[in-house]
Amino acid sequence: MIRAFWSGMRIHWIMFSRNPFDLSGVLLWPILYASIAYYLLDAKNDPELLLSASLGAAVMLMWSLVVIGSAGALEQQRWLGTLELLVAAPVPFATVIAPISVASGAVGAYALLATLVWGTLLFDVPLAIEQPLAFAVAVPACVLAIGMLGLVMAATFVLYRAAFSLGIAMQYPVWIATGLLVPLSVLPDFIGPVSWFLAPSWGFRAIQESALGLTPWPDIGMCLVLSAAYFAIGSLCLRWFVQVARARATLKLT
Amino acid sequence: MNWLRVFFVGGLTSYRALFNWISPWVFVPHMVGYPVFEILFFAYLGRFAEVQSDEFFLIGNAFMGIAVTGFFGMSAAIAGERRSQTLLTLLASPANRLALFLGRALPSILTGVLVAALAFTICALVLDVSFTGTELRGLVIAALASSFACSAFGLCIGSLALRGRNVTLFADMVAGSMLLLSGANVPLERLPGWIQALSEVLPLTHGIEAGRRLADGAELGDVSGLLAAEVGIGVGYFVLGLALLRFFEYQGRRMATLEAF
Repeated sequence: MIRAFWSGMRIHWIMFSRNPFDLSGVLLWPILYASIAYYLLDAKNDPELLLSASLGAAVMLMWSLVVIGSAGALEQQRWLGTLELLVAAPVPFATVIAPISVASGAVGAYALLATLVWGTLLFDVPLAIEQPLAFAVAVPACVLAIGMLGLVMAATFVLYRAAFSLGIAMQYPVWIATGLLVPLSVLPDFIGPVSWFLAPSWGFRAIQESALGLTPWPDIGMCLVLSAAYFAIGSLCLRWFVQVARARATLKLT
Repeated sequence: MNWLRVFFVGGLTSYRALFNWISPWVFVPHMVGYPVFEILFFAYLGRFAEVQSDEFFLIGNAFMGIAVTGFFGMSAAIAGERRSQTLLTLLASPANRLALFLGRALPSILTGVLVAALAFTICALVLDVSFTGTELRGLVIAALASSFACSAFGLCIGSLALRGRNVTLFADMVAGSMLLLSGANVPLERLPGWIQALSEVLPLTHGIEAGRRLADGAELGDVSGLLAAEVGIGVGYFVLGLALLRFFEYQGRRMATLEAF
């Protein structure tokens, strides 16, 4: 299982990083959202706010890559006729799908780098990471947690042929509910508790607090706890939904 | 009259093929949920930044919803034929190209306009923004002008699908850039001079500005210049799009790239 996971990670990372045109999108989107935030906030006297906006925009793209990347990858398997073969493989299906989600999130590291460089060059956002060690741990923890949340979403993508459309629709609700660019204090009260169950909230806080020199380790811990919970839930859902898809004979439909 | 038959029958068949297979569980979140949450996201970002009112973001992003379908309609129509390996067969036919592809794009564009109107209504209720009947009529006129301009711009993007393999991603990036460049989410005076200059020749900018002024109680005559500019830009892109459609079909045949996917 471990070998299947790492091989899958490596292959999908290479696939996602191969096309320069696709990568240009990875770089453009977070820069775009960060720029909108910079111009709206106009917070030249509050560099921490601008740094948080950069990090928030990068985590936004990580989620988009996971949810759209995994949906797109599954849809691609349908079109290529290989989804049935993957389901029939002796390794658990979650071991095949999880690397797709995690590799998609890992490509988001480009986005993180791009927004930080963009913010520094054009908007004088300070590129000072106060706790480099915690930051180096927080980024992969965030990628893992968001990737595992993507695994839960991927379970539904197995069920529906139009998975890609569903993936696109899941971007904004999660961006709002996790307070990545808009603080939760501005949002209706009921969204606060919802954010506790969503990995991007904790991943963003872990990265933000390590960059600003606060207390990132509890957030990193929450990322790991949520990753384990998502993996358990995602595996169960995948098993169930694959059964349903097989019973309905819809795995081959494009 | 054959081009009319191609336009309507081809468009209707393509439209049914596009939506028949989508489950309501996917269709509703994708078509309605996406623009609703986009409007809310930027409205809350505006509240946080204490820049402009909810109405500013509501109008800007509802117009963005219309623009996106205009940008994607044509490119998705051509990219869909490429993906299902029918583009070559289609281009071998003597049918009028504009009727062929516009027939496929127009129903999607109209659906987009309706969805944007629905999202606008839902978000107006959520954000507690209200308009008078006269203001709404003005908004509809501005939205129609923007829809035309964006669809004409989409014709230019769509023509690239005859040459490139992944034009949908390009259309996505262009649509994303419009979030910033058109003034939908950032007041234009806050942007650098070169972006303001660029936004002058892009579709949507003048339409959004006209819509906002009409929603603030301006008369139609007060914004006639903005509306004329929006329609004029649309006409310019429409002519350019027709020329590009012809050029890229010729290029695609010459370089044997029509089947590449």
